[in-house]
Amino acid sequence: MTRALENGAIADPARAKTGFRNNDPITRFVVVLVMGLMLVYILLPVFWMIKSSFQTSLEVQAIPPIWLPETWSLDAYFDAGLLIPLWRYMFNSIVVSVVSAVITTAIAATGAYVLARYRFPGAMLILGMILATQLIPAITRVFPVYFLVQDLQLLNTYAGLILAYVGFSLPFAILLLRGYFQTSSPPELEEAAMIDGCTHFGAFWRVILPISLPGLAAVTIFSFLNSWNDFLWASLLLSSGAMKTVQVGIGDFASEGGGVQYINAFMAACVIATIPALILFFFVQRWLVSGLTAGAVKG
Amino acid sequence: MERDKLIFCYVMVAPALILTVGLGIYPMLASMVMSFQLYDLLQINAVGTPFVGFENYIAVFQDPRFVQTIVNTVLFTIIAVVVSIAMGLFLSQVINANFKGRAVLRTLVFVPWFVPPVVASAIWMWLLQTERSPINHALQSMGLIDTDIRFLTDPSTFGPFSIPMMAVAAVRVWNGLPVIIIFLLAGLQSIPKGLYEAAEIDGASIMQKFWFVTLPMLRPVMSVLLALLVMNGLGQFEINYIMTRGGPQNLTNIMAVYSYQQAFMFFRFDYAAAASGVILLMTSVVCIFYVRAQSKDTLR
Repeated sequence: MTRALENGAIADPARAKTGFRNNDPITRFVVVLVMGLMLVYILLPVFWMIKSSFQTSLEVQAIPPIWLPETWSLDAYFDAGLLIPLWRYMFNSIVVSVVSAVITTAIAATGAYVLARYRFPGAMLILGMILATQLIPAITRVFPVYFLVQDLQLLNTYAGLILAYVGFSLPFAILLLRGYFQTSSPPELEEAAMIDGCTHFGAFWRVILPISLPGLAAVTIFSFLNSWNDFLWASLLLSSGAMKTVQVGIGDFASEGGGVQYINAFMAACVIATIPALILFFFVQRWLVSGLTAGAVKG
Repeated sequence: MERDKLIFCYVMVAPALILTVGLGIYPMLASMVMSFQLYDLLQINAVGTPFVGFENYIAVFQDPRFVQTIVNTVLFTIIAVVVSIAMGLFLSQVINANFKGRAVLRTLVFVPWFVPPVVASAIWMWLLQTERSPINHALQSMGLIDTDIRFLTDPSTFGPFSIPMMAVAAVRVWNGLPVIIIFLLAGLQSIPKGLYEAAEIDGASIMQKFWFVTLPMLRPVMSVLLALLVMNGLGQFEINYIMTRGGPQNLTNIMAVYSYQQAFMFFRFDYAAAASGVILLMTSVVCIFYVRAQSKDTLR
């Protein structure tokens, strides 16, 4: 890595974009050194998780620590399910994340479409409320939502957490899709469809939705990840026994500080809980980037 | 026709509106109301939930632990904002430059993005486990320290700072860094190349180009980023909660964790609501600035 950087620092000037293309060896040395230190900071925790998950229980407990597995072992991955009900937790997480993602996308799509294409009284107010909900931290509304779910008799059910997740993911999903509808298709499309006899809804359903599938897929995956990564709502609404989500299972185990002799199995559980997020992130990277930075770079 | 259009709009937006109000705006307001009531779950059947004015706010502000959480929250936010923007500026410059292996470097830098915050907390707790930490091991082998650093349990303080605070802040920076880099990369790529060429013709050094071209051009992105990071920092919860539960001796406790603990450990939802009311007030101020700046842009 460092070698690549050194070579790169003197890359063809015509191709260079900005920044560290330069010839001063001291600056170059400092840049490479700082970059190296930052890479250690960024990668060491992930390396440590993965290497611990391939060590035996005996090896992982050693003092001083052993940096690379002396005997590579898959034991931890078989033990992970014995340590906590990992597969059940994974199942719970998948159910609530998938269902809430699909519902969120459906509701966000209809709302975002009219907010993107039509001017009607109250539209700015609605957008303002959506933005406020997106920006103000969740802790300022967990208690009433908790009582609401309790009153609906939905504590410790999938439905209760799914409801909370739809509310939690909706603002960002609407803002993302609204931007997508505004930029991805020209309004002339609907106008043409309506001249051909389509209703407003017909134009949305038969013309706009089919060409917006990539955006809808991205929003679905984003909402899935939002729910998958959540701890706060799940720890309140789905907290007992086998109903926990995988993040709550891992969070609780970490906080209770189970003995170090199981840490290899625990790290294996962490690897497993990361994999779905890892796979899906690759699909939506590009979309999340444009959604996250929408509006931020219109200088 | 016009009426049809309006009906269509309201029907389409209704589900989103109902959920936003029901699960976003209403709970925020209800939480505010709760902060002016006596809302003790243990005596709710006996005394109900009468209004008590500002008593809950007075009570939490008289609790030295809560005052400490405000200081901690602000410090955590400042550390996270300053360190992660500084690192983000450096890293985004490097991966925006052209060199062999840039794609690999870019992927590596984004690795923490794939790690859920809970898992990040769990793996850092293991990484910082006093006797088995590779960091302690490496520092000892280099002869930089004699005794292991107790990253998450050392209760000694330096003014308002402590080792556990730094350790938890490091995890928060780690988990948030990729998103910051994405913002800054988007900003960097929107800077016209001509500006750098002009600066080069004038003989500007790298630092001068950074200082007089890059930084001023990044200002719009940086102000958005700053607002988002501050709002996010003031409401942070899970990393602190999982890693330390606010300990040792309240050194890493923050407002959201305090609020959560008041509600679900002591069943004082009134104090919890008052604490989250303070968070709401602080974030709303930032939010208003942010929305104003944003809407100026989008209305143009």
